Amino acid sequence: MADTSDPMANAPAELAAADPVTAAALAAIRAAVPDAVVEVEMGGKHPWIGVTPQSLRAVCRLLRDDPALRYDCCHLISGVEWPAPADGEAQIDVVYHLASYVVRQDPSYRTRAEKNDPFLALKVAVPLAKPEVPTVMDIWVGADWHERETWDLMGVRFTGRAELPRILLPEDWPGHPLRKDWEYPASYHGVPIIPPEGM
Amino acid sequence: MPDDAPQVLARGHSPSIIPGESLLDPELQQSVILTKVQWVKDWGRRHALWPMAFGLACCAMEMMATAATKYDLDRFGAGVFRASPRQSDLMIVAGTLSHKMAPRLRRLWEQMPDPKYVIAMGACVIGGGPYSRFGYHVVQGVDLIVPVDIYLPGCPPRPEALIDAIRKLQFRIQERGGDTLPDLATATDGDDGHAGANDSGAEAPEGEGTSAA
Repeated sequence: MADTSDPMANAPAELAAADPVTAAALAAIRAAVPDAVVEVEMGGKHPWIGVTPQSLRAVCRLLRDDPALRYDCCHLISGVEWPAPADGEAQIDVVYHLASYVVRQDPSYRTRAEKNDPFLALKVAVPLAKPEVPTVMDIWVGADWHERETWDLMGVRFTGRAELPRILLPEDWPGHPLRKDWEYPASYHGVPIIPPEGM
Repeated sequence: MPDDAPQVLARGHSPSIIPGESLLDPELQQSVILTKVQWVKDWGRRHALWPMAFGLACCAMEMMATAATKYDLDRFGAGVFRASPRQSDLMIVAGTLSHKMAPRLRRLWEQMPDPKYVIAMGACVIGGGPYSRFGYHVVQGVDLIVPVDIYLPGCPPRPEALIDAIRKLQFRIQERGGDTLPDLATATDGDDGHAGANDSGAEAPEGEGTSAA
């Protein structure tokens, strides 16, 4: 989307009519947390809103507690590593997939929305050199394991938690294997590892 | 496999009566069996394999199907899956082995009493399978962790294939003697696996090409 200064101005009226929950979410975020939204993609089946790391917790709390939205489920948290552009630094997008089962079970929702599932993704871009994002574990308890997995495999550090242990790999595993710069160890606990060709 | 059956009998370890070679008179042949203690021990062992009940991934589904009524592993005396390594003598490694699981698997193997046997079931266990190139978390072959007696390819192998593997193991036990399988040290040292390392080598038949792992 070329002009992201005022996403609602760009969003066609029929898009807001087709997806009133996402449109309401965007409006609520813009009203309650100024300067939080940096990028918006409203079209498609899975709209997303890019927010700043500083405003993430306020936005999440708003999305969960707003009576018209009630995004009560954090489906998953994932990380996307982007290579460095020519004029910038490499980034990791931390993506939060949210769903509102309260709205979904509202009988009037399906009649007023073409899009059946009130899903919304939040994206937070952090520099690859220092990937730190505040935790949302106290907002959605289920985010606990998702944050541990994102730390385990992508190396995104979630701050504000008491501890951040790995979840899948052993504690002494070297590095975070889904990073693009991760290298295969020669062996692990004496068991040799043959890396694929060219890596 | 069917070729192995008469081989065992032909070795002379069988209780069957070999016509023309017996010194017993025909009357006695009907009521007396000549054999060796080792042969009887192995005969009992091979028909009472107790596998350990554990599975690592989808191959375990085929292993469970093998043990269930349709394929009925009990027909071959190997259907008593035990919940403890201390009661087991057969480890069927069924499924993808991750580096995190490898020390646990090794410990389970060490807790099994001798003699013990290992079947590597499925492509993942044999060499990493579909994860062997890019799966950072998969051990590229369970023979890096424990010595393997039978390699069973497939992804996953069908129950018939697992039965075949168990039958092959049974014939191997009978042929080589259950006491004579190698320990890990001699197996990983390489070429001449079990020869010389066993204490009952005099009784074991002279193996021809039955080196393990």
